[in-house]
Amino acid sequence: MNNGAGRRINGAAEEDDDEDDVNGDLDAWERTYTDERSWESLQEDESGMLRPIDNQALYHSQYRRRLRSLSSTAARIQKGLIRYLYIVIDLSRAASEMDFRPSRIAVIAKHVETFIREFFYQNPLSQVGIVTIKDGVAHCLTDIGGSPESHINALMKKLECSGDSSLQNALDLVDGYLNQIPSYGHREVLILYSALSTCDPGDIMDTIQKCRKSKIRCSVIGLAAEMFICKHLCQETGGTYSVALDESHFKELILEHAPPPPAIAEFAVANLIKMGFPQRAAEGSISICSCHKEAKVGAGYTCPRCKARACELPTECCVCGLTLVSSPHLARSYHHLFPIAPFDEVTSSHLNNPNCKLQRNCFGCQQSLLDPVFGLRKQTRACRCVPEVQTNATC
Amino acid sequence: MKFLIEDVTVYFPYDHIYPEQYCYMIELKRTLDAKGHCLLEMPTGTGKTIALLSLITSYCLSKPQSPMKLIYCTRTVHEMEKTLAELKILHNYQIKHLGPQARILAIGLSSRKNLCVNPTVVAAENRDSVDAGCRKLTASWVRALASENPDVAMCEFFENYEKAASAAVLPPGVYTLQELRAFGKEKGWCPYFLARHMVQFANVVVYSYQYLLDPKVAGIISKEMQKESVVVFDEAHNIDNVCIEALSVSVRRKTLEGATWNLSRISQEIDRFKATDASILRAEYNRLVEGLALRGNLPITDNWLSNPALPDDILKEAVPGNIRRAEHFLHVLRRLVQYLSGRLDTENVEKESPVGFVASLSSHAGIDQKTLKFCYDRLHSLMLTLEITDTDEFLHIQTICDFATLVGTYGRGFSIIIEPFDERMPHIPDPVLQLSCHDASLAIKPVFDRFQSVLITSGTLSPIDLYPRLLNFHPVVSRSFTMSLTRDCICPMVLTRGSDQLPVSTKFDMRSDPGVVRNYGKLLLEMVSVVPDGIVCFFVSYSYMDGIINTWNDSGILKLVFIETQDVVETTLALDNYRRACDSGRGAVFFSVARGKVAEGIDFDRHYGRLVIMIGVPFQYTLSKILLARLEYLRDTFQIKEGDFLTFDALRQAAQCVGRVIRSKADYGMMIFADKRYSRHDKRSKLPSWILSHLQDANLNLSTDMALHIAREFLKKMAQPYDKTGSSDKKTLLSQEELEKLGDGSMHEMSY
Repeated sequence: MNNGAGRRINGAAEEDDDEDDVNGDLDAWERTYTDERSWESLQEDESGMLRPIDNQALYHSQYRRRLRSLSSTAARIQKGLIRYLYIVIDLSRAASEMDFRPSRIAVIAKHVETFIREFFYQNPLSQVGIVTIKDGVAHCLTDIGGSPESHINALMKKLECSGDSSLQNALDLVDGYLNQIPSYGHREVLILYSALSTCDPGDIMDTIQKCRKSKIRCSVIGLAAEMFICKHLCQETGGTYSVALDESHFKELILEHAPPPPAIAEFAVANLIKMGFPQRAAEGSISICSCHKEAKVGAGYTCPRCKARACELPTECCVCGLTLVSSPHLARSYHHLFPIAPFDEVTSSHLNNPNCKLQRNCFGCQQSLLDPVFGLRKQTRACRCVPEVQTNATC
Repeated sequence: MKFLIEDVTVYFPYDHIYPEQYCYMIELKRTLDAKGHCLLEMPTGTGKTIALLSLITSYCLSKPQSPMKLIYCTRTVHEMEKTLAELKILHNYQIKHLGPQARILAIGLSSRKNLCVNPTVVAAENRDSVDAGCRKLTASWVRALASENPDVAMCEFFENYEKAASAAVLPPGVYTLQELRAFGKEKGWCPYFLARHMVQFANVVVYSYQYLLDPKVAGIISKEMQKESVVVFDEAHNIDNVCIEALSVSVRRKTLEGATWNLSRISQEIDRFKATDASILRAEYNRLVEGLALRGNLPITDNWLSNPALPDDILKEAVPGNIRRAEHFLHVLRRLVQYLSGRLDTENVEKESPVGFVASLSSHAGIDQKTLKFCYDRLHSLMLTLEITDTDEFLHIQTICDFATLVGTYGRGFSIIIEPFDERMPHIPDPVLQLSCHDASLAIKPVFDRFQSVLITSGTLSPIDLYPRLLNFHPVVSRSFTMSLTRDCICPMVLTRGSDQLPVSTKFDMRSDPGVVRNYGKLLLEMVSVVPDGIVCFFVSYSYMDGIINTWNDSGILKLVFIETQDVVETTLALDNYRRACDSGRGAVFFSVARGKVAEGIDFDRHYGRLVIMIGVPFQYTLSKILLARLEYLRDTFQIKEGDFLTFDALRQAAQCVGRVIRSKADYGMMIFADKRYSRHDKRSKLPSWILSHLQDANLNLSTDMALHIAREFLKKMAQPYDKTGSSDKKTLLSQEELEKLGDGSMHEMSY
């Protein structure tokens, strides 16, 4: 209750401030409140009582979830590393609603940007395209491609919302595009759906079956409430359906789609793919790049097969169609298949044991793991960081 | 799983059990031990039926020395099938664990319409014509005729059944109506008569309320049930109305015209018989003189609906002399019809007690009470004598005799009301004479008296202390259970104000206020924008619904909606399209009426109903003469205040409406009670406890915008994945070990 009282007093203090316009010299006790904003760490429970937000439980559940996902990957699940993902953004009237601040669409755009960057960071061999739904019609905003910047730029220019939403039109459009991609690619759709209904020209069930047949994995993140048709779509096509509670939850949900999902069993045939590892062109050499059709100085890559010039990696050579990657890209994708084993938890009592051979300092930051100043925080972080195989402790 | 409740080993076909099911079983077991009646309320979606069935069958199995029969009454054929399907799962499980000694015979019994397999008969459109069609082929005299003349059509299924005679038995097992028909087809036996025959031997019989409550039907179907039976009335929140309807008759002008026509047809028949074979009529006369029982030794196919009065009230004596001869009886009926049509010509609303009515009848038409009493049996006998098979043509005269017998038998608990026109449409003359029963306990009394245990159960029986008073019995157990939930998946709200803070209500003086109508429209419109998939909206009456929709239409605030109408076919079509709209993600609103067919029998579970809005308090039409008479009777006889009864009745309807939305624990839904009167304690406290326990104080007095906010939050919260078994402190699914660990003590906290 301390905090509640503090809040009230603080509120009064702020009013005084407004009147007197003396923001600079707050008393020390006032400053602790304004700095720490302690009321934000409170939440109301069912009976209207104030309680501190249970961060401990939150961290713990996250930790458990990570452990679980790791143990599931330990079973060596085949994953689709070369993903062709269409992000479908609903720009219907509902997307302009203000229940997320400042508006749903602003929040979506912000996090789609983060997502695209994260996606390419984790899946350098994959490609993304963006489709928008507006006035009941689906448009392809950007073609499928490997450059995060072009997608983000294109998206930021087009954020007006109007009209109804149509799931079927979007699925039909995406289905048409994804059918053209090579068979080793994994087809995915991520739909960010604001509306609560869909206005379709035909029977959407047929479209869902069509997607299922062409093995497109459809996932939906809803922003308002659970819709039956979305749930049905995800169940049929093997995707996930989730509904965002608030902005941070939305971010969490969308980022969950960044690591590659398990491959659909019948689809997971082993394929050999031809790839080229281009050399970086020498500084100062001038050549016409094949992607922009412009003469460029330096900074580019030369295709090992046809010697054409590409600006960015990874990409597909415009001339001979060879997939061009660099070895770090492959390595980054590779770690999804062989993730680091889960760390062992080391209790502080264990560390205090003089017989213990483990280091008492963090391998990473050299802080003592037993440091009382860092207390709990250190301990919990250390819990999640000490790997079984490493003799060096990390934090 | 199996577990012990006191001394009974209960076989339960699932691996997990809800705690409330366990409590429910304990209470049931106590009732059975005490051989008394009970009243149990448990919300829908908690597995009432299976808990009930598994306890009772297990109880029977554990006490083989005292065989018990289970009579399970449902409201609809659909529910009957569902119950039998559950019983089948249970039965298979018990056989797996106990071997062949657990074998039972369970059958569902329904009308010919649902059981007939003869393609020519079952093609008829309604129940009465199927019955008549069957009689045409199977009546004893038709069959006698057919044995001489091969051109006369007969039902081969019935003939095969007759030929098999005592060999025609069902092997033990659980038979749904479908399976019964399939069995009948395969063997070539008539499933209807087979079922009728097997009812006496079956361990479990599932049929509709009428078979026990309506004396006309009960007299032939249920009279041989042994005393050691357990009778279950499922979904029994409207049982008092069923009882009352069973004993009420209404006569319209059409009925009288039909009756007159029937009478002339009968008199023609009599003339024909006189000319050809007068001995039959004479034989009948002699039989009546001797006062022989009319029923009893008749073949099963000639059985007709028996006397509408309750068995105890039928006089065991000979038919009075003045109606023994067929012509005399016809004269009496003619005078009666004439008298009734004279009464129907009245300009004013009249209300009379049966005693007064009989007195005026005897002074004007010269028919005394005793004659009236025998009308029904006499007509029955006459029609058998005249070998009339197309009974569906004679419904009108049957109604008249029905009426006569009831009027002659009962002096109390009834009244006769003549209305020259419908109250709501005073310009269209539509005279109706109603004999309405006020006392629900009359029809159900024989059931309570005859059977060892009667269980009345439903999702909404609140307030639970009113039912024993209405039905006039003493339950040994009456209890209300709540639902144990892993999450708060129902969200009831009471909305008292519109966005403009003006109160909303369907109170008579407020309902036509444009502001109120607009606020209701706004509420619906705003809710549509935040709730996905299906929304159901209940109104208090058809006329109010029509009015309000018209107003909304004029002010242009309507979207894709489906509306229940009084036409069954149209409603079914609307429902079908509504479901399609919900499935395809379009979303839709269904407008319906409390007390309508939809409110009683159709489920709006899962995405078919995420929100139900109850607009107004569904009070009965309080100016109705019948209702007034009944209220008066209730006050005088049972000391139930008019207001109490009206509120009780309205709230149980409201609870029934909103209860449509949630059918299982995995489901979720919101309920909005949109009327300022719901916030009053006397109204609210009559809601079932499972709704009340989720109705937070904060949600009691909301305006539209606040409700909107709550709805948004609720829907987001419910869309999150959750753990079905519940976390450790809030266990909602118990496995066998957990159940064994559980002492009795902790279980009792669950119920209240």
